[in-house]
Amino acid sequence: MMARAVLIALALAFSVLFIVLPVAAIFTRAFADGPGAWIAAVTEPETLAAIRLTVLTALIVVPVNIVFGLAAAWAIARFRFPGRRALLVLIEVPFAISPIIAGLCFLLVYGAYGPVGGALQPLGIQLMFNLTGIVLVSLFVTCPFVMREVLPALSVSGEDEEHAALTLGASGWQVFRLVTLPNITWPLVYGAILATARAIGEFGAVSVVSGAIRGQTMTLPLQIELLYNDYNTTAAFAAATVLALLALVTLVLRGIVDAIQPARGATP
Amino acid sequence: MSLEIANVSKSFDGAEAVLDDVSLAMHEGEFLALLGPSGSGKTTLLNVVAGLTRPDRGRLVLDGEDITDRHAGARRFGMVFQSYALFRHMSVAQNVDFGLRVLPRAERPPKAERDARVRELLDLIEMGDLGARYPAQLSGGQRQRVAMARALAISPKLLLLDEPFSALDAQVRQSLRGSVRELQRKVGVAAILVTHDQTEAFAIADRVAVMNTGRIEQIGTERELRDAPASPFVRDFLKAGAG
Repeated sequence: MMARAVLIALALAFSVLFIVLPVAAIFTRAFADGPGAWIAAVTEPETLAAIRLTVLTALIVVPVNIVFGLAAAWAIARFRFPGRRALLVLIEVPFAISPIIAGLCFLLVYGAYGPVGGALQPLGIQLMFNLTGIVLVSLFVTCPFVMREVLPALSVSGEDEEHAALTLGASGWQVFRLVTLPNITWPLVYGAILATARAIGEFGAVSVVSGAIRGQTMTLPLQIELLYNDYNTTAAFAAATVLALLALVTLVLRGIVDAIQPARGATP
Repeated sequence: MSLEIANVSKSFDGAEAVLDDVSLAMHEGEFLALLGPSGSGKTTLLNVVAGLTRPDRGRLVLDGEDITDRHAGARRFGMVFQSYALFRHMSVAQNVDFGLRVLPRAERPPKAERDARVRELLDLIEMGDLGARYPAQLSGGQRQRVAMARALAISPKLLLLDEPFSALDAQVRQSLRGSVRELQRKVGVAAILVTHDQTEAFAIADRVAVMNTGRIEQIGTERELRDAPASPFVRDFLKAGAG
């Protein structure tokens, strides 16, 4: 009884100290100079541009992730091929590598002095320090999410249902759409939400390849750091509330998915 | 319908042959059982017939036509899986309707006709009022019958049954055996049953093919197999099961 109370108190204290307080502090500080100052700060053109860039990046990155995550999970779950285990490990690399190192790697390969970037330079194609660079590194850091969520569900659902659909005359596409996809819908949505949250919040990798051109290649996390370093504290925290709100939206979505997702193994 | 399996061989990843030069001919409307211990190749042979596994060598001839390269869906063979493989997210009626729903638009019957067909099949398996249920809400025997109805919905030329009774308790198994045989006769379709249980094989099938290490040892009726076993394996296997 005693132990239970202590554990609950510890958990609560930890959550308040390390999760609730910091988030609350962002909002308190952002509104310290009144709502007018907050509105002025978040409607400032540079901040608006940063919001736009961040959302645009997520809108490009997440669909690409869904397609490739599905393809990778499908290949790993359904086929035995040389390099399958390597692929399984390789796809986890972005989780293991520090994002800033990932950014540097991309710069080395795709930058103007790298093998790929250098080859494209004469054609007038620049990959780094613009939207392309930001999208590329965001893809890198978010690529495991969809695959990791989908793979277990795909492995559990097994091949029998797909084989049954084939013998009943379904085409490959019909098998995927009518049989496979419904079995992995929720893990897929879940993975997409996690990838979105990460794409929106990514700082380290993006900071290396963005080039930090104000109003053009600054994503929201970069913009917040910039404002903060300029001693523009109110604006920095106001922008931070926008990012926090975007994150909260994904959290709420996650909660909704958890609530309406039918219990694993059961049928609606 | 006549099906001829000619000199079919198959091995996986260069390992020892799972099927070794298997040949077999089926008669019109016949119920044939593939009987053998696990690892004898009987399920692989069924998958080859279904079009789910490609043989390395050999041919499948259906009514004089070579169907070796024809893909599973185009063969129109109804298959009942050991796990039943019902679509979990679809109701019983939607499961049965699946084979009609995926037909190309030009061949697909209108919705009313499909519904009537589904009702007819559900009545046939005596589950007329359970069409709205989901597979998770059914008993093992009911799931097995739905899998049968789903396979029959495509008016199959041949019915393939992979250990369809193995997940059921003894009592249900007995009664379902009879009803599967009855259904098969009523529909007038030839069937291949894979089983490791000789009581089941002899109870349900017209002829039984005894398989061992990728080969068919002997094909015949219960009498023929018991009176004149073609090999020591057949004799010992039948004796062991009877005891």
